Amino acid sequence: MNIKKIVKELFYITLPALAVAFTVNYLHPDGIALFGQWDVSKGVITAKSKKGVVESLNSSENSKPEITSPEEAKILFNGNNIVFVDARSFEMYEEGHIKGAVNLPAFRFDELFFDFSEKYPIDTEIVTYCTGRECEDSHRIAKNLKELGYKNVRVFIDGYPSWQKKGFPIETGVEQ
Amino acid sequence: MLKDHAKKKIEFLIRILLGVIFIYASLHKIENPSQFAKIIYGYGLFPEASINILAITIPYFELFAGLSLVFGIFPKGGAMIINIMLFCFIIAISINLARGYQFDCGCFSLTESSVFESAFMLLLRDIACLCAGVFVLIYNKPRLLTIKEA
Repeated sequence: MNIKKIVKELFYITLPALAVAFTVNYLHPDGIALFGQWDVSKGVITAKSKKGVVESLNSSENSKPEITSPEEAKILFNGNNIVFVDARSFEMYEEGHIKGAVNLPAFRFDELFFDFSEKYPIDTEIVTYCTGRECEDSHRIAKNLKELGYKNVRVFIDGYPSWQKKGFPIETGVEQ
Repeated sequence: MLKDHAKKKIEFLIRILLGVIFIYASLHKIENPSQFAKIIYGYGLFPEASINILAITIPYFELFAGLSLVFGIFPKGGAMIINIMLFCFIIAISINLARGYQFDCGCFSLTESSVFESAFMLLLRDIACLCAGVFVLIYNKPRLLTIKEA
């Protein structure tokens, strides 16, 4: 086996591959940053894509769309007229959710939004959540709701697991 | 012993098959780099600073290596890249298998279904591909339908 020949061929392939990879990523509308946010202690993880839901929500006019602790979410929960929206799947919702939360799975948003909008007027204060900082479905739902006119939408980024761990009110089964 | 002509045909078929597999595997990752980055994060093995760089570059290594095998342009280099990647995949899958860590390989699809491919099947598939890649790499006779070799 001619090592020199293999190394030569290796360079002939990897160098153009690298050049094309970084150029396409730079020009592509779905391109990502060179370094993402992968530290859960700093917030929701994200590759920092140009079209990322986490980035676009956080850069919107709402100065503080994210709720970063279960305690802060609990204060809102104790207040009146706040609707918690669970962006997880129906099965996960059924197993347990924040007491009184409405289920609006991110992947079924289009299908379920009409019923939701009939029940909850546009001025409803909403807090979305999913499974925590490794999940961006709550941001996706929040972004969709904002785009459809809901103004008071925030995201509880630690999600259901942290709420449950704190022993805050939960319930199981389907929506009443 | 197989005759040279038969060996040539076998090398050609294996090279095309391996090339097509890697081209196919690269396409969905190229389309959605942020999803692929999340899958790399899900392996729980890579330093934070490397995740995006890997998500940007791996799909193009797969694509270019696959194309090199299919078109017979620097096939040894292409086979070497594929073998290095397969070796790394095998190590990553084995570590997660050993520590009982659930992950999505993201090999051919980025759809976040809750169905995780069986890690053992994944390992077997990658080992089979690695054997094919090593065969293409060490094959030293003239190859069928190559455009350029160094």
